[in-house]
Amino acid sequence: MTEAEAIRLFKCLSDKSRLQILKSLAIEDMYVERLAERLGITAPTVSFHLKKLADAGAVSSYKSQYYMMYSLKKDIFETSILEILQEESDEAEVQEQRDAEYRQKVVDAFFEYGKLKAIPTQRKKERIVLEVIAQAFEYDRIYTEREVNIIIADFHDDFCTIRRDMVGEQLLDRDARGYWRIKP
Amino acid sequence: MIEQKVPKLNRYFEEQIAMCNQRSKKLLDDERTDEAAFEKVKANVYDIFRTILSVAVKTSKGDPDAVRRFFVQKTEQIPSSWVTAYDKAKQHNDTVKMCLEQIKLDTIGEIKENFAKTWEGAE
Repeated sequence: MTEAEAIRLFKCLSDKSRLQILKSLAIEDMYVERLAERLGITAPTVSFHLKKLADAGAVSSYKSQYYMMYSLKKDIFETSILEILQEESDEAEVQEQRDAEYRQKVVDAFFEYGKLKAIPTQRKKERIVLEVIAQAFEYDRIYTEREVNIIIADFHDDFCTIRRDMVGEQLLDRDARGYWRIKP
Repeated sequence: MIEQKVPKLNRYFEEQIAMCNQRSKKLLDDERTDEAAFEKVKANVYDIFRTILSVAVKTSKGDPDAVRRFFVQKTEQIPSSWVTAYDKAKQHNDTVKMCLEQIKLDTIGEIKENFAKTWEGAE
């Protein structure tokens, strides 16, 4: 388990309702309504906690007849805290993780369900956003300006600014034939 | 009658906000941080509509029908973005967001019901 994963798991576990959900799932697999009834909290609240637990890798789900059943991911809990503490963290790896977390934070803040909410004003953040959009372009392919606009418009209406900034950030290049994605 | 209805509604909002804050504190003490935050979300919705009621009273110059119209219009207008956000979250199976939007929608549903009971019921 990486440091980031351990932190996410511990953060997730520091909530009484979530611990009680896990305690219930340690007995047997359960569905949302059953957990809600057992713990005296509403079904939407149980779903909320289960989503957080699933994101932290603590539970998994499977479909059984009409129900979505949730189960404890026992292998995660078989890891001892000492093992987590003893895991060596390479400084470069830590830095890489920090960068990835920052990147994810920016992506989460500026994208909603795959759409760009606003163009960031900070250059560093805009670069991250543009890199995400650049992934929609294939390498070794020439795109017409219209094709570029259509692809960008899937993310944000202001495709002119984004197209221009992608060229400025050297994510795309252009000549008389059209545009193409620059390889890093 | 407006002299009775408005204070009654204000009392209702104040009581609900106080109750939410009390529940939130209790949940925090019980290490249930997210559920405590849910109570804060509810308290915010009550607070928004308490403010809207006071604006409605101020702008309507004592006309009870104008107060009702203004308040009811806002109870439709403001939550429409919450409905959109809920639908979008549902579409993307975003349970966390769905739960938060549902709390806001349930709270406004309760506010509308109470307003109708207080306002129309006293006519």
